[in-house]
Amino acid sequence: MEDFLFDLIDLVQSIADGLLFGTTYAMIGIGFTLIFGVMDKLNMSYAAAAIAGAYASVAAFALVPLPAPVVFFVAAVAGGVFGYVIYLLCFRFIPLASPLATLMATVGMLLLIDEIVVHETDGMPQPYPALFDDVMIEFGPFGLRGDLMFVFLVSVVAMGLLLYLIYRTRLGIATRAVSQQPVAAQLCGIGLERTNAMTFVITGVLGGVAGAMIGAAVGVLSPLLTLPFTVKGLIVTVIGGLGSIPGAIVAGLLVGAFENAFQFLRGVTERDMYVMLLLFVFLFLRPGGIFSRPAGRD
Amino acid sequence: MLELKSLSKHFGGVRAVDGLGLEVREGEIFGLIGPNGSGKSTTVNLICGVFPVTAGEIRFEGRDITHAQPHVCLAAGIARTFQNIRLFGHLSVWQNLWVAQNALADRKSAGFVKRWFSGSARARDETGALLEFAGLAAKADDLAGNLSFGEQRRLELARALAAKPKMLLLDEPAAGMNMEEVGQLRERLGALREDGKTILLVEHVMELVMGVTDRIAVLNFGQKIAEGTPDEIQNDPLVREAYLGTSGQGDA
Repeated sequence: MEDFLFDLIDLVQSIADGLLFGTTYAMIGIGFTLIFGVMDKLNMSYAAAAIAGAYASVAAFALVPLPAPVVFFVAAVAGGVFGYVIYLLCFRFIPLASPLATLMATVGMLLLIDEIVVHETDGMPQPYPALFDDVMIEFGPFGLRGDLMFVFLVSVVAMGLLLYLIYRTRLGIATRAVSQQPVAAQLCGIGLERTNAMTFVITGVLGGVAGAMIGAAVGVLSPLLTLPFTVKGLIVTVIGGLGSIPGAIVAGLLVGAFENAFQFLRGVTERDMYVMLLLFVFLFLRPGGIFSRPAGRD
Repeated sequence: MLELKSLSKHFGGVRAVDGLGLEVREGEIFGLIGPNGSGKSTTVNLICGVFPVTAGEIRFEGRDITHAQPHVCLAAGIARTFQNIRLFGHLSVWQNLWVAQNALADRKSAGFVKRWFSGSARARDETGALLEFAGLAAKADDLAGNLSFGEQRRLELARALAAKPKMLLLDEPAAGMNMEEVGQLRERLGALREDGKTILLVEHVMELVMGVTDRIAVLNFGQKIAEGTPDEIQNDPLVREAYLGTSGQGDA
C-alpha cells in the first residue's frame, strides 16, 4: 500500500513536470499551426529552425560570455531571422500552387539545418545555460524544479504576447483575414507577401524562444533534438487541430504530460509509442482536432 | 475613369474575355450584363488584379494598372464585392470593416511599430459610420460568418467602401435577394452615386440594372455585343438574341 502511494506521488510529479515542459511543445505546435493557417502549407523545418536559433545563441555565448537571459534573447532574435530566411528560400519564390514544392523545400531546409549543426559542432552536445536550476519549490511530497518553472513562465508569457498580437493588433487581424479569405484580404488592401513574411518572422521568434527553453530545460543542445521536436510539434498540431492556436496550446500540455507519465510508467524507450497511440486515438475520434466535433457527427 | 483596351483573358483554349474595350466615366453607374459564362466576372477579376491579363490594357485615371496586384489596385482606388460572399467569417463584423479601413493607412507608413503593432482599443469606434451604413450597428460584435445572407451582402458592400475607393466593382450584389432587398440595394447604390462614387455593376437582376444604371454594355462569349443607355439596350436585337436566341441560356 505504501509502495503504491509512493508510485502515485511519483506519477503526479511526472505529470506536473511534463505539463511544465509541454509548453515548449505548445510553442512549436503554434508555429506549425500559424504558418499552416496563413499559407495553407506545412513548414517542416520549423522545429529545426527553432533549435538552430538556440544554437546561434550558444555560438554568440562562445564568443563573449553572456548572462543567460541575454542568451535567450539572442535565440529569439536569431529565430526571427531564420524564420524570414526560410520564408524567402522555401516559400517566396516557389510556386505555391504546387502542393509538394514548398513541402519538399522545407524538408530540404530541415536536413540542411541539421547538417550545418552537425558539421559545426562535430555532432557533440553543447551545454546550454539555464536559470534557477538550483531552486526546488517543495509542496509536501512534491517538488517543482526551478528551471522548469522558469521555462513554463517564459513560455506562457511568450504565448500570451503572441495571442495578444494575433487577436488584438492590426498585424494579427490582417493575418487572420489572410488565413480566412486570401483573395478578399488582398482586395481589402492587405499585401499577401508582406503579411506572410511577418508571420514567418513572428513564428520564428516564438520558435527561438522555444528552442532556448528546450535548451534550458534539457541542459544541452544536440542534433538529436530536431527530429523528436519536429514529430512532437506536428503531433501537437494535429491533436490541436490544424490552424487552431488554443488547440495547439492545450495539445502541447497534453502531450507533455502524457509523455512524462508514460516515461515514468513504462520507461523512456517506450514513451513515444504511447504518444503515437494518443495521436491515433485523436485521429480516430477527433480528426479535426481537440476542439472540433467528434468524428461521424456533423 | 476606367478604360479597358482590347482586354483578353484565355483559360487554355477558352477565350473568357476576348478583345473587350470599355470606358466607364467618372460618377456614373455602368452596367455589365450578359448570359452566364459571357465573361462578366472574369472582367471584374481582371480589373482588380485577381487574374493575370492575357493581352490588352487596363487604365484607371490614366494610370496603367494592367499587371497591378490586387492590393495595389485597391490603393489606386478600386474596391469590389464578390458574387459568392467572401467575408472573413471568423472575424467580428467590425473587424471585417477595420481590416479594410486600415489597409490603406499601412501604405502611408506611420512607422513600423505603429503600422503593425498598434492595438485595436479605439478601432471599434472608427468603424461606426460604416456599421450605420450597413445597418449592422447592433451586430458589430457578432462573427461575420453568423450573419444572415442579406446582412452578409450589406457587410461586404460596407467593407468595400471602408478603404474609401473612388470606384466600386459590384459582382452580382443582388443575387439571391428578394424584391424588397433589391429595392433597398437600389437606394444604397443611388446614395453612393450622390456621394460621387463610380460604380461598375455586374448583375443578372434586370429590375436593378435597368433602374439604376446610366449606361450598359452587354457581353456574349467574351465580346461586347452592345453598349448604350438602358432603353437602347432593351430594344437591341443582338441583345435579345443573346439572351433568348440560339444559345438558349436566357436566364435574365
